[in-house]
Amino acid sequence: MSHLRDLQLRFQDYLIEGTEDIEQDIISTENAIAEHRLGTYYNAYRIRLIDCLAVDYSALEKYLQREAFENMALDYLKHFPSSHPSVRWFGENLPTYLRDIYRGKEAEFLEELARYEWAQTTVFDAADSAQLLQLEDMAAVPADAWPGLSFKFKPALLWLDLFWNVPLIEDALDSGSGVPQKQRDDFPRRWMLWRRELKIQWRSLEVHEAWAIEQAASGANFATICEGLLEWIDEQQVAMVAAGFVKQWVTDQLVLNLDND
Amino acid sequence: MTQPSEKPFLGFGLGLRAEHYQDILERRPKNIDWLEVLSENYMIDGGKPLYFLDAIRQDYPMVMHGVSMSLGTTDEIDYEYLKQLKALIERIEPRWFSDHLCWTGVDHKNMHDLLPLPYTEEAINHVAERISRVQDFLGQQMLIENLSSYITYCEDAMPEWEFLAAIADKADCYLLLDVNNIYVSSYNHHYDPVEYLAGVPVDRVWQHHLAGHTNDGNLIIDTHDQDIIDPVWALYEETAKRFGPVSTMIERDGNIPGLDQVLAELDQARRIAEPYYQA
Repeated sequence: MSHLRDLQLRFQDYLIEGTEDIEQDIISTENAIAEHRLGTYYNAYRIRLIDCLAVDYSALEKYLQREAFENMALDYLKHFPSSHPSVRWFGENLPTYLRDIYRGKEAEFLEELARYEWAQTTVFDAADSAQLLQLEDMAAVPADAWPGLSFKFKPALLWLDLFWNVPLIEDALDSGSGVPQKQRDDFPRRWMLWRRELKIQWRSLEVHEAWAIEQAASGANFATICEGLLEWIDEQQVAMVAAGFVKQWVTDQLVLNLDND
Repeated sequence: MTQPSEKPFLGFGLGLRAEHYQDILERRPKNIDWLEVLSENYMIDGGKPLYFLDAIRQDYPMVMHGVSMSLGTTDEIDYEYLKQLKALIERIEPRWFSDHLCWTGVDHKNMHDLLPLPYTEEAINHVAERISRVQDFLGQQMLIENLSSYITYCEDAMPEWEFLAAIADKADCYLLLDVNNIYVSSYNHHYDPVEYLAGVPVDRVWQHHLAGHTNDGNLIIDTHDQDIIDPVWALYEETAKRFGPVSTMIERDGNIPGLDQVLAELDQARRIAEPYYQA
């Protein structure tokens, strides 16, 4: 191991673990001894990354309040030190940490809130979509082509299944309005997030639309989607309901283009 | 490798920050000559930051400034990072790109801080060789920036300016001389900042940074969250005397005021430096 590498490992061990071997390498002066000088880096490392998490998880920070959030963030930093060149990715593992490691109260709720906020970050800077399908494009599709239609969705779209009403709570915490009561459903509800132009949109999906969009995104054609929807919808209504979903997805600017098999 | 024949001068610029996106786009201020963007903020797939970047760059020359190249680390070069940087360079077409003379982590970890190197021959050879490889990969010369630092190492064998100059010479790269960082480090380590300037080769310096800082009583911390103080302005005047016309910009990263307040500081930089440029 080179001398320089050895020095860097000692310095980094100090930043992460607080081990003091590096002090012997640092010059002390009258106005600032080595311990104080190094402490500037030790504290900055923690403050910078806690602040970064507080930006990505602003609702979680408000919910926990600053002191509890900092304690949680410091423990996260110990378990998941950053390895990515961009600090944008530092918070990526926070939901995993809350699910698997965090020992505080409300872990399931906090994990869902964190997962929802990370989903917002993901949608915020997902790839742009220059061309989006318009309702006029749909109108031009002949009726006999509909069964074979499949749909390609934009990258800035995702959904997640949550037991708790975290999107409502996140929205209230973010806007400073009254935070609704926490509620847990017996079954998870699917929430969809997408970016429309530069703004993040979100809504909950009924179980049959949740199923339909998942199928559509995995390449199922319109006929297959209709067939599956028969579990919830009468045969006479199913094509109209499915077409209604597609129309809504196009209106929400989720669909890039159509394919016909 | 691209090698311009003479030092380009872009004038007086700002670090582009999200807080000013809308204002710059709507007002297109004429007294901003150019903008510096933080590379890592735009190494993403899409969305708002890239939207504003693409719109604003129609009206302003840009340079790119990174914080994560970790030129001094003893880990291997991160070519994945360099590929992303290259893609961004191709998109933005900056006049140049820069990063810091530092390391940010080792053993595949990132402290997201600009950590100082020891001023030794070993470090000079190590960093210069890595800069050369980066320049070869990206097909152009880069600028490296001096740090604000709070420590020095017992093994330091030379002053910082000699270290900086030796690396620039060996790697054949240019320098982004941060005037505030010189002031901060000279205060923290008790040397004469003007002596620092005298040790830096004039032809290598292509860009200056100016910024504010915070004094904690014993050390000055490079926080970029305050206005620029008079001693830094005075040092900038010395800088203008020695280096002549060098593209200068103001960095503000915290406690960010409205655009007009930052533009007033930029005008102050102009008033200080331009008389020496004419001479």
